[in-house]
Amino acid sequence: MTRQTVNRILVVYLLVVWTAVAVRCDRFPLTWVPMYSTYTPIEKIPVVVIDREKMERGILVTHRDGSQRYVTAKELNIPKTHFWRLYYQRMFGAPPAKHTQGNMNLGTVNRWIRGLGENEPNFSADWDWRILRSFNKTLGYEPSDPTFIVLAEVESEIVHYQKKDLLKKDVSKPERMTLRAKVQWKDEWLQRWKNDTL
Amino acid sequence: MTLSKSIGRAWNSFFYEGFSGESLGLLRLYFGCGLLLYHVAQFFELLTLDPTGAQFYFLEPMWHFALLGIDHHVPILSFAVFVLLMMATLTMALGKYTRTSIAIVILCIFFLKGNRDSFTGDVHHRYLVPIQMLFLLLLSKCGHAYSLDERYRTVKSRVEDWEASWPIKTMQFYCAFFYFWSVLAKLRVSGWAWADGGQIQEELLERSVMWGLTDAGEAVRNQLAFHMAQHPDLLMFLAHLTLGFEALFPLILLVHSVRWRLIFLLGVTLFHLANFVLLYVGFIFLPVVFLIFFDLVPVHAWLKEKFRCYVLRRRSLPAPGSG
Repeated sequence: MTRQTVNRILVVYLLVVWTAVAVRCDRFPLTWVPMYSTYTPIEKIPVVVIDREKMERGILVTHRDGSQRYVTAKELNIPKTHFWRLYYQRMFGAPPAKHTQGNMNLGTVNRWIRGLGENEPNFSADWDWRILRSFNKTLGYEPSDPTFIVLAEVESEIVHYQKKDLLKKDVSKPERMTLRAKVQWKDEWLQRWKNDTL
Repeated sequence: MTLSKSIGRAWNSFFYEGFSGESLGLLRLYFGCGLLLYHVAQFFELLTLDPTGAQFYFLEPMWHFALLGIDHHVPILSFAVFVLLMMATLTMALGKYTRTSIAIVILCIFFLKGNRDSFTGDVHHRYLVPIQMLFLLLLSKCGHAYSLDERYRTVKSRVEDWEASWPIKTMQFYCAFFYFWSVLAKLRVSGWAWADGGQIQEELLERSVMWGLTDAGEAVRNQLAFHMAQHPDLLMFLAHLTLGFEALFPLILLVHSVRWRLIFLLGVTLFHLANFVLLYVGFIFLPVVFLIFFDLVPVHAWLKEKFRCYVLRRRSLPAPGSG
């Protein structure tokens, strides 16, 4: 390669990586490095407490024939960290961090580039559909099967800390609550199932 | 005219000076060795799966998987590709079929990362700097020194300093601005509110309380993170420190003193270590890329000399039972 060619490569390379930053592109290997950037000050901080025993037991599912059982990480054959995200985040409709990062404070130009309306999010997903599609396809169930999973349920304990209590180092009595997530199959999804679209 | 000449001079002196063909070859060698460990840390969880078990349908395939229509995981394939990745990384480090090896490493990373980050849609950023380095190594003549390719080449070629410098300097530039962009992102997304330390407080609480609480309300594990979360002043200081060091990172490109570079990068390494211990942030092995900020020729010579002395000392020791 001649020096002139290298100069051209460098200019294109630098333009590409800086453009990715400018337009908030976060598609590997390009990035605008948004990790841990999202923060909205709140007075009450919610924290999920993992119940390892419950998580090991799995996600409670109901089949079309009414029978119930637990689906585990081992059965789905996914890493434990991902099962944790599935159990405590997606089941509760919480998106991955990249969605939050990509949606928060997106400027006018970046909204225009993506053709987004005023309140239209940059990233969104129907997690209920995706979860049940994934479970059923992974386990080889068809909508007409009596074993087809129509409901998935999990429970999660949330602890809330008040910022003023943390300032006083008073952590002995945080507010606790138990949340329950139910992901239910809708027959209107049958066409989506046939088309196999996310 | 003078301005354009000055820019041209600065451009040339930054991108085309400072390293030799040997430096580039050694960077490939040491970075390759570091990558072997890096890959294991990054893809270990894929190897914990049953190779012949269920094929999970991804909740959100990564962009290139979506483009290629890959919507489920084939575990046995991940095992095979991981073996290929390790072999290609090794041959890359040794400089055997260097370019081909680097291309295979890049493809394998795309495949394995695509699988790992598609299960539930959380895309991690730990391979961003390494993949840029691999791309630049692919374009460079990094296989022309300290390589098996060069050893068996009948017509020896010499790598000019400018040919060796530009890939390394571009890597330095990318790495330095990777940290700088991180500050931009924080300010673009959250504004100056990020500097109040509240984000760090939330993360510390999340990563400590997640394991459960004792009857007295103390975290069962990661107590240090739990206690730190109760010191907002300290967290505000740490937030400012983080923003400061990330914003000033590009200044390393102007620092020529090896000692100051080393001190700064040791500080950054400590930052990654603390993030790993307190928040489980997986950038613990990223400092392997900081090799780009040093000329490895004197480092290699020093290590070689140390190793030679060690071997000589071992040889001069009387064998057990001989006296």
